[in-house]
Amino acid sequence: MQWKDTVDTTGNAERFGRDMFNDFDIDDPKFNDNFYDVLDDMVARCPVAHSTVGTGYHLINNYEDVRKAGQDWRTFSSAKGFQPNRGEGIPYLYPEESDPPYHTNWRRALNPFFAPENVNAMEESIRADANDLIDAFIADGKCEFVGQFASELPGRAFFKNLIGVPVEDLPMLLQAMDRHIYGPVAERGEQLGIALAYLGNYLKERSEQPSTGDLIDTIAAGVERDGETCPWEDRVSILTDLTLGGIATTTFVMSGAMLHLATHPEDRLTLAKDPSKIPNAVEEFVRYFPPVVALGRSVTKDVELGGYEFKKDDFVLLNYASASRDPKALDDPQRLDINRDKILHTAFGVGPHRCIGSHLARLELRVVLEELLRRIPDFSVEPGTTQEYETGVLRTMKSLHLVFGDQGDAS
Amino acid sequence: MKIAVDQELCSGHGRCYSLAPGVFSPDDDGFCAEAGTEFVVPEELVKQAQLGVGSCPEGAIREIGT
Repeated sequence: MQWKDTVDTTGNAERFGRDMFNDFDIDDPKFNDNFYDVLDDMVARCPVAHSTVGTGYHLINNYEDVRKAGQDWRTFSSAKGFQPNRGEGIPYLYPEESDPPYHTNWRRALNPFFAPENVNAMEESIRADANDLIDAFIADGKCEFVGQFASELPGRAFFKNLIGVPVEDLPMLLQAMDRHIYGPVAERGEQLGIALAYLGNYLKERSEQPSTGDLIDTIAAGVERDGETCPWEDRVSILTDLTLGGIATTTFVMSGAMLHLATHPEDRLTLAKDPSKIPNAVEEFVRYFPPVVALGRSVTKDVELGGYEFKKDDFVLLNYASASRDPKALDDPQRLDINRDKILHTAFGVGPHRCIGSHLARLELRVVLEELLRRIPDFSVEPGTTQEYETGVLRTMKSLHLVFGDQGDAS
Repeated sequence: MKIAVDQELCSGHGRCYSLAPGVFSPDDDGFCAEAGTEFVVPEELVKQAQLGVGSCPEGAIREIGT
């Protein structure tokens, strides 16, 4: 294979138990377990990595190359999906799995709901939910932060402020989305189907009521596709994609931030004393704990990038997680520095598919850290516990046991 | 300092107007309202502007003169 000659793989397979440059598998637990080390090795000496899983795919790892590919949607198309080895017949998730001009039509309709001005109006609702969740465990002197807070808060914020779905249905949707992303490849379509069916029913019900012009009504009204109003299924797909992004991603940044603050008392003290430093810390946490590891594109014509000759119909993953740790773009990227003054990253993607919820995510993270640090200024990791992670095209933390006050272990 | 904001490349990350609110502002979609224009940054805002320029993930903001 042509790439074998171009990349120095010395020590890679021995170190990780798998050749991460030539035989990568994003779903392999070895990647999950060696996450940062693999990313840093890729960004140091492997601009383009390769996978032989299924029909095979490639990874673009450096910041500049990820940016080029992300911006060049004509050559690196989203229309064939973001997951490698995507099952036949799985409906596409729009706007994520589409290209301009259809993509643009939807983003124009949806963007205003997610713009800072609209999102900032949700601050007090998010703050109230953060406090409700804290109320439920603060007297215990401890919590399992992912289950009791981080997996709940983004869903509540999204349901209450944007789509109006009952909060009681959050666990069911979270489970379906979780299995769609991290579950066995063969079952992913079925799991997505559960979310599509539920959200489709909800959208149908809402479409039969008078329009209020909110996000749901805007989705139900549809946009133009090839000269006509788009099919109904596309609108259900839009709602499902937004929900996936809204409930299944920010959890990891929140958990990562709390893990960092639990193990770095000096940073915790800095932010507790001066909350005006939280927004900058949030940006650094987003960079360092990327919920979206890598999303795919299909190559539409032969093209050279990162020293590799891509062929038409190749499938590539834009490795956002490694690009955010590229020393060519950012000084000392392996260090988490909440006081960093230039934070360049691709955690929200790059190009026209930039995460539509990025402003909401930043708001959630800021408000959550303000409230947690105000009410629980001192916390640490519960001794004897470890964190569990799960990684595929997304990454998340499955558990984080914290104890409050000085009873914990700061190490 | 004179800068240009590329309309094609701006995708609404919002880093410019968050970090340099005296220089950039959001439009109704959360994109840079100055996209598609060139303008001179007042001397007292140059440092702020540079932070905005350097933090754009798209590289959409360029310094084009003094």
